[in-house]
Amino acid sequence: MKLIKTLMVAAAVAVAAPAALATPPEASAMEAGAGEILVAKVNGLVCDFCAQSIRKTFGKEDAVQKVYVNLDKGEVRIDLKPGKSMDDAAIEKLIRKSGYSLVSIDRNAAK
Amino acid sequence: MPPRYLVAGLALAAVAAPASARPVSYAGGWTLMQENNGMYSSLHAHYSPTATDSIGLYVEQNWDMDQTFTGLQYNRLVRRWNAPQSQGNVYFKLGAGVADPFEGGDAELASFAGLAADWETRRLFVSYDVRARDFGPDESVSHSARIGAAPYVAEFGDLHTWLMLQVDNNPEADEPVTLTPLVRLFQGPFLLEAGYTLEEEEFLLNWVWRF
Repeated sequence: MKLIKTLMVAAAVAVAAPAALATPPEASAMEAGAGEILVAKVNGLVCDFCAQSIRKTFGKEDAVQKVYVNLDKGEVRIDLKPGKSMDDAAIEKLIRKSGYSLVSIDRNAAK
Repeated sequence: MPPRYLVAGLALAAVAAPASARPVSYAGGWTLMQENNGMYSSLHAHYSPTATDSIGLYVEQNWDMDQTFTGLQYNRLVRRWNAPQSQGNVYFKLGAGVADPFEGGDAELASFAGLAADWETRRLFVSYDVRARDFGPDESVSHSARIGAAPYVAEFGDLHTWLMLQVDNNPEADEPVTLTPLVRLFQGPFLLEAGYTLEEEEFLLNWVWRF
């Protein structure tokens, strides 16, 4: 019986896992009723140290839940905590504090 | 950055030797950097209070000068060019401390100053570094330049690989100009470089940890 249950759980995980992994992070966050998602276009992002600087700097902010850096696109996606917000000036200041240059902010990227 | 800057960088690389990985971190960031080559072994531990400054301990065992330098090093990011696909930097470095001869004798006040410039995209890298040392009775000026290319473009968190050629110019050394082919491996907060200096038959091993 225990073996059957184990096999059933394993089968469920095998079916569900690829689907979960295939779901874009944007969609997951929206479905979970998470906070606002911002995408900032940033100049100067060429290496992992750059990306790490952005993540560490934004990670210290109380309003920020998660930060994703896409070096290919030169973009930083900032997932805010539910009910929290950040204005453009605050985002620009943090990008500058990281050592980089803000180009634009898209507040409708995940819609 | 306009192509003329790339041409200027390549020209500098042709005459000179390695700018280390960037000596200034993000505001609040710490960095450990270690370099080992035929001329010296060094350790630099620094803290960046801002995105344009860092200060920390610098220790160098210099085999050419037979001295150990121990002191403080200040690094200033003089200028950064952030472009959509590239980044260029100019750094100023200043160190002050004491130099102890290997063979004993009195330690003397010592200092060094350096200027470094780099420019990179996710495919190309070029850098130039000049450093003047005044270690008591010994003074020297050394140049270092690099050119590098990434055989593939990796995303954040993946392993980045760079193939580089370093040219060093130490006018007072037995081999004033040396070539060091090297491999740079870079992932997240860790950077590791391994190379071999052809003329001196010495290995190069550098690493950086940023946190």
